[in-house]
Amino acid sequence: MSTWFNYEASLKILIFGLLLGSGLPALFALAVRAGAAGAGVVGSDGTAVGHKNPALTALSWLLYSVALVAVVIGVLYIARDFIGAHTGMYILGAKPA
Amino acid sequence: MNLQLFLLIIVVITALAFDYTNGFHDTGNAMATSIASGALSPKAAVTLSAVLNLGGAFLSTAVAGTIAKDLVNGHLVTLQLVFAGLVGGIVWNLLTWLLGIPSSSSHALVGGIVGAMIAAVGGHGVIWTGVVSRVLIPALVSVVLAGLVGAVGTWLVYRLNRGVPEQRSEGAFRRGQIFSASLVSLAHGTNDAQKTMGVIFLALISYGAVSRTAALPPLWVIVACACAMALGTYTGGWRIIRTMGKGLVEIKSPQGMAAESSSAVIILLSAHFGYALSTTQVVTGSVLGSGVGKPGAEVRWGVAGRMATAWLITLPLAGLVGAITYWVVHGIGGFAGAAIGFGLLVATASAIYLRSRKTKVDHKNVNAEWKGDLTAGLDDADQPTVTVGAEVPGGNGKVTGTAPAKKAGTP
Repeated sequence: MSTWFNYEASLKILIFGLLLGSGLPALFALAVRAGAAGAGVVGSDGTAVGHKNPALTALSWLLYSVALVAVVIGVLYIARDFIGAHTGMYILGAKPA
Repeated sequence: MNLQLFLLIIVVITALAFDYTNGFHDTGNAMATSIASGALSPKAAVTLSAVLNLGGAFLSTAVAGTIAKDLVNGHLVTLQLVFAGLVGGIVWNLLTWLLGIPSSSSHALVGGIVGAMIAAVGGHGVIWTGVVSRVLIPALVSVVLAGLVGAVGTWLVYRLNRGVPEQRSEGAFRRGQIFSASLVSLAHGTNDAQKTMGVIFLALISYGAVSRTAALPPLWVIVACACAMALGTYTGGWRIIRTMGKGLVEIKSPQGMAAESSSAVIILLSAHFGYALSTTQVVTGSVLGSGVGKPGAEVRWGVAGRMATAWLITLPLAGLVGAITYWVVHGIGGFAGAAIGFGLLVATASAIYLRSRKTKVDHKNVNAEWKGDLTAGLDDADQPTVTVGAEVPGGNGKVTGTAPAKKAGTP
């Protein structure tokens, strides 16, 4: 780490940012796509194909839940010190004061 | 009442006022893209954001090492200096709000305090390496990192959703945006309320009302700060929301969600890796990225350029206001100095508020078509303009706030 510019932290933020910050909306987009295909709304060329596919619908819901879990983890992360201080459960890297 | 107590009361009131401006200045950070994409109605968005900011503020258990710790020599800090710094922050926040420019509230506060410090003891009271490495460089890093992440996310989203009917995909992303925007609001509440709590805490310690070893500020400080910020958030900085959501890039819900996810993740990561990045710059970077990443989308670089200019002059101008305020308060001295300083702040704030009423931007017209600058086309008495006219790219209709900033501190 230089005095002026924190290369190390910036690089870490970039890498994890790309994984999580770009990955999460991409995951959500996959869920939307699977949902649309599962509902028979869309074919690969964008035209309606008309038949439903429960497997794709299930996949879509699975992907949505993964995204939701990520948001819940985000909230827990923000609240981790508060939770730790009030319940004694130190999660996600929270440290006792 | 002795002078120190009088100063303390003024500092507390001013700090809460700063917190309020911080709240409404930053509503746009969390909610602008949701409002622009239609994911949330303007009123619902600011209400949700206010509630989450309130909640976020209570989640803070430790006072953020006060904002100025690594930037100025702590032994030289006085109540008058803190007051002058806060005035610099408030005036700059109000001016940038008037012009609809999202600029960092933290930078404004830092600028004010640094300026007041220079006025008080000269440049040696300021830790310049800290100012550069903790404020200036992170600002640039924020925009670049968030821009990259936002662009990649947006590109992926549009690539993966190719062939999905637009209506279906936009509907889904609108629902998703509610979660991503909430995350940004919560993170913001936790980070930013601490800033003002830290300032009041510092003032209480220097007065002797709170012991130097206390870990947490008194409950009333937490409650007051949380409420001031939530109230500010609820008021909604519509002018800034408009620039963020309509001016910079025309935001659709998939872009909005990509931008918000990028912002939330980068803010949390920067806290995790101990490299504080400013929320405003992160969000602006993400929004720019979402414009770059969407095939065929237009980014109004003229608007981005105006913002960049405002960011560059935030520190010096907030510093100038802080310095002038310090000279006034300290120069006159005593009760009169503090009272006159406070009076000037109220006068300046009122003047800016009255100026903003000339062309009002509120929840009714915040999403009106962007016609070259913030208020173009809004003059027709609250009626959102619906005509689809030729759009003037870039917004250079207004100049930056140099002149009013000077006027601000001059008696």
